[in-house]
Amino acid sequence: MTFELFIFYVFSAVTLFSAVGVVTARNPVYAALFLILAFFTSAATWVLLEAEFLGVVLVLVYVGAVMVLFLFVIMMLDINIDTLKEGFTRYMPIGILVAVAVAAEMILVMKSKTFDRPIPEAAPLDSSNTEAIGEILYTEYVYPFEIAAVILVVAIIAAIALTLRRREGVKKQDQGAQIRTRKEDRLRIVKMKTEAKQGER
Amino acid sequence: MLAEYLPVLVFLSVGFAMAILMLLLGSLLSPRRPGEAKDSPFECGFEAFGDARMKFDVRYYLVAILFIIFDLEIAFLFPWAVVLDKIGLFGLIAMGIFLGILIIGFIYEWKKGALEWE
Repeated sequence: MTFELFIFYVFSAVTLFSAVGVVTARNPVYAALFLILAFFTSAATWVLLEAEFLGVVLVLVYVGAVMVLFLFVIMMLDINIDTLKEGFTRYMPIGILVAVAVAAEMILVMKSKTFDRPIPEAAPLDSSNTEAIGEILYTEYVYPFEIAAVILVVAIIAAIALTLRRREGVKKQDQGAQIRTRKEDRLRIVKMKTEAKQGER
Repeated sequence: MLAEYLPVLVFLSVGFAMAILMLLLGSLLSPRRPGEAKDSPFECGFEAFGDARMKFDVRYYLVAILFIIFDLEIAFLFPWAVVLDKIGLFGLIAMGIFLGILIIGFIYEWKKGALEWE
């Protein structure tokens, strides 16, 4: 067993362990943290396959941004695990049925003739993986690349349209108004007669 | 090729070993005398009320999703920066259009006030 294979087994074992943790953790926040661990070890597997770009993107986009969103969603939904666990036995037959159906489908697909073919050897690259992606992404596939920008803009507009709410009656500081204010706006001097003290009457 | 990642692997394993060692030493060497007062939940001096789980404002979600979009933009910039000298002016213009489209979205969210925190 080479050293590389050993490292692969270590990272795969951690990936599987954390993937099981995602579905078994009682606390949804822990489940999200297990998912982060699974992403990290998957990124390590990508790097072992010499697909550094995918590994970096997995850490950068999924761990850096998507998991933050996941955690916000978990906190926003205010999940109470006790009420979620209610009716577990009632729904279990349907759950088992779905699990068996999905497993049968997967076995049928994997056993089919379409997948029964020798694994092709990876074509040796004369440069790194990232360069190979870059050389075709910005030249041959430039049109889908610009479409990706449009899709991202659509996502920006959709997110703003769905979640931006103006809140009424927010007490907010307006520094400009504070600086511009003059004494006459705030202070009123009232002329009045001197009053005797209470005890001297 | 993979040998270049050996320092990363060494770093990972040392970090992992350190974490395990510190937790282990802490649990082995520290005195443990639990008491009723120590085990009770504590919240700034008064009795704990309510749950730690509470609904977060939806605006955090908006900030996170806007962050994801510009994070993806950075992911597109990585391979572009690596091969810029090979793809030349065409690649530069392609990335210019890409960034231009996203800047339209950025101006939209700025003007719309999505970055303001009332």
